[in-house]
Amino acid sequence: MNRSLIISSVLHVILIMITAMSLPFLAKKPVDLPPIVSIELIQITDKTNIPFAPKAKKIIEKIKEKEKKLVSEQAPPKKVKKIKPDSIPMPEDKVEKIEKIEEDKQNPEKIDNEVKQVSEFEKDELFDPNNIAALIDKSKEESAETTNKTDKITQDQERNIENFGLSLSEEDALKAQIFGCWSIPLGLPYNENLLVRIKLKLNPDGTVSQSEILDHARMNKPGQGFYKVLAESALRAVKLCQPLRVPTTGYERWKELQLNFDAREMLEG
Amino acid sequence: MKRSLFILLLLFILIPFKTFALIEVDITRGNLNPLPIAVSPLSIDENSRKNFEKILQKKNIGSEISIVVEKNLKTSGLFNPLNKDAFLQAPDIANLKPRFEDWNLIKAQALITGKVNFVEEKLRVEFRLWDVLAGKEMMALAFTTVPNNWRRVGHIITDKVYERLTGEKGYFDTRIIYVAEEGPKTRRIKKLAIMDQDGANNKFLTLGNELVLTPRFNPTSQMVTYLSYFRNLPRVYLLDIETGMQEVVGDFPGMTFAPRFSPDGKKIIMSFAKDGNSDIYTMDLENRIVEKITDHPSIDTSPSFSPDGKYICFNSDRSGYQQIYIMNSDGGNVKRISFGKGLYGTPVWSPRGDLIAFTKLHKGKFYIGVMRTDGSGERLLTENFYQEAPSWSPNGRVLIFYRETETDDKGEGFSAKLWSIDLTGYNERLVDTPTDASDPSWSSLLSN
Amino acid sequence: MKKSRIRNIDQGAIMKLNKILKNAFLIAVACLALSACATSKKSTGQMQGDVYTGTDTVEYLASGVPDRVFFATNESVLTTASRETLRKQAAWLRKNSDVTIVLEGHADERGTREYNLALGERRANAAKDYLMTYGISSNRISVLSYGKERPVDSGSNPLAWSKNRRSVTVKAN
Repeated sequence: MNRSLIISSVLHVILIMITAMSLPFLAKKPVDLPPIVSIELIQITDKTNIPFAPKAKKIIEKIKEKEKKLVSEQAPPKKVKKIKPDSIPMPEDKVEKIEKIEEDKQNPEKIDNEVKQVSEFEKDELFDPNNIAALIDKSKEESAETTNKTDKITQDQERNIENFGLSLSEEDALKAQIFGCWSIPLGLPYNENLLVRIKLKLNPDGTVSQSEILDHARMNKPGQGFYKVLAESALRAVKLCQPLRVPTTGYERWKELQLNFDAREMLEG
Repeated sequence: MKRSLFILLLLFILIPFKTFALIEVDITRGNLNPLPIAVSPLSIDENSRKNFEKILQKKNIGSEISIVVEKNLKTSGLFNPLNKDAFLQAPDIANLKPRFEDWNLIKAQALITGKVNFVEEKLRVEFRLWDVLAGKEMMALAFTTVPNNWRRVGHIITDKVYERLTGEKGYFDTRIIYVAEEGPKTRRIKKLAIMDQDGANNKFLTLGNELVLTPRFNPTSQMVTYLSYFRNLPRVYLLDIETGMQEVVGDFPGMTFAPRFSPDGKKIIMSFAKDGNSDIYTMDLENRIVEKITDHPSIDTSPSFSPDGKYICFNSDRSGYQQIYIMNSDGGNVKRISFGKGLYGTPVWSPRGDLIAFTKLHKGKFYIGVMRTDGSGERLLTENFYQEAPSWSPNGRVLIFYRETETDDKGEGFSAKLWSIDLTGYNERLVDTPTDASDPSWSSLLSN
Repeated sequence: MKKSRIRNIDQGAIMKLNKILKNAFLIAVACLALSACATSKKSTGQMQGDVYTGTDTVEYLASGVPDRVFFATNESVLTTASRETLRKQAAWLRKNSDVTIVLEGHADERGTREYNLALGERRANAAKDYLMTYGISSNRISVLSYGKERPVDSGSNPLAWSKNRRSVTVKAN
């Protein structure tokens, strides 16, 4: 009885051992399984990058221009009127009025901008580069450089920015904050100039007392409809971020601040 | 002279002092999170509400329309419509003058309000888009239409809002034509079906007596060209959706298939197969003149015009395997553009002209992807067991395609469904259809 | 002493038993492996390369005349077996000169719909051309491609796909 038990148990152990030793081999045996299908990983960065072919850019611009023509403020009513009466809603005159009011609101700013530009031109005329050059050689080079630029506003502070700008950590804090607030509109055309410059007047607590889009005129140019969308998104970001994370000291340094929003990097990936 | 010089010098010294304070900070990054938007139910007076309830069997047509808008915005992936329970302001007051602080409080950056009226048996809808942070109105529009069109009003509102906030045209007032499928995999019954972009108003256009495949809209979305096996003769047909009139396209002594309209809608481009060879042909719908575009002993199929009509992309196995080629619209200057690993099929030119969408088969998996028109910049948007036949949304941002499931050991569990994905590759969605579905084709904007 | 002897015998017996068992086990394993081989052969045994060579779905136009031929993935080349089948069909068609036929070309589900329509047409024509070289008039043959629309096996596996890559000769009258 005892013996048979021993035999039985020994046999069992051996069986288990053989099984344990040989089964893994067995599992590997059938070689002609279907071929392993390797799954290709798609990089997320590959996906988000939506570049346009250079040729296509022109086409897009054309399309955009057409769209702009069709869709400019007063257009939608006309557009919809084309359609068969019963199948499509008909907009009404009242709408145009509403929009005209909107337009009117924008006009003062527009004029404002133009006036400013005129005064700047006058300033330019006052300068006689040669005369100044005679006095200060260095400034000749600098003014020559800066006149290449079309933006008048950014000209002169360049030489001072090193001395009076925000420290790197101060700037980083501000950037990080605004990065989080800015929802970039996804429908913008790539390869276009997607730079929006906003000049801010700040209160000591970081709240914004005044904001101004520096290229305001561009908003109403044909074919630049997207620019308005972009500019508005930048303004929203500023408002959403209030109060801005400004340094606790040196209000004089940053009471005026210019933010250059550039969506190109993000949209190009 | 000297004095003016002195003033100049003074100015020159002073200007830097005046402007030194202007610090510039470059913001080159932002988030691509969906924009938080509040869609307030459109307000409606009691009298109008009752009238519409009688006509449309909808308790409150104002909130029904806003639900259409909300769902559209959500599926776009670019907007995050906020929960209505959190809204503090009543719809009627919000439409007059929103209390922006209230909307700001729930983190809304944009707000849609509106009003519905019953005017002379018609539906009059007025809506406004508000910039909550700036506290100003961005847009205001009004429409009048027959009450039955109420869903389209919702789609048009979405299109306007989408365009105003993203800078590109919308794609919501559109329809999808597709093939509705039923029955076992070995004996599928297929019918042409049409529905709104959001799956509403589904309608079958054929009875399912014969096999139908690959319907495609013409540019005005009034006509459809498709393949029918009527009397067991696979031919390209033309169908007028309004009248239901059908006709065979051309008089070919063999199978014609893979039809598409030219961008001006005047021609149909398709494949004609004879004696084991498929070539690409066009037929002018006005004068019925047939032109042979490709002449090659290989399979040439799946042609698609560029939006300017100057080029054609197509599928050919002239290199030995399925690849994508482009050529001039007269068939000249054939160039292969797909050089990645795997097989490429179903090229479709984007309505913006910049990209070509395709199906790719590689190592037993199917991908939907896009590449530039010169073949560079290939990006695969989605991978699956089986999927193909992408069709572009009219603004060139979204692709709709169909996907089939793998069956189990017994050959069961097969299904075919429509899916959409946008160019970022993130926003992938199942498109609801009452039956199984395949071969989708997206219409142009109907209100254009 | 006694005890130990017994134990020795015991051990010997156990060893012997062990060996027998081990052998038996190995035989069993071998059998299993063989049968595994056999079953896997069964699935590959119906395919040569990836052309279906089995008879599961095949029907007969007449006794000994199979109605269909199979193709490799993406191919429309006739295999030796396919030619033999088609020769039998040609012989049968010559005997029954009043019969007209439709050659239905099919593809598997692993391709795009439009390309598969063209591929099915190409396959059916490969069969047609072969029948014509054996004296069957093209007037008696029409060709119809179904692409991937009418699979015979709804499975999603290589064997099912191989059955679906086919050209079927169907009596038209």
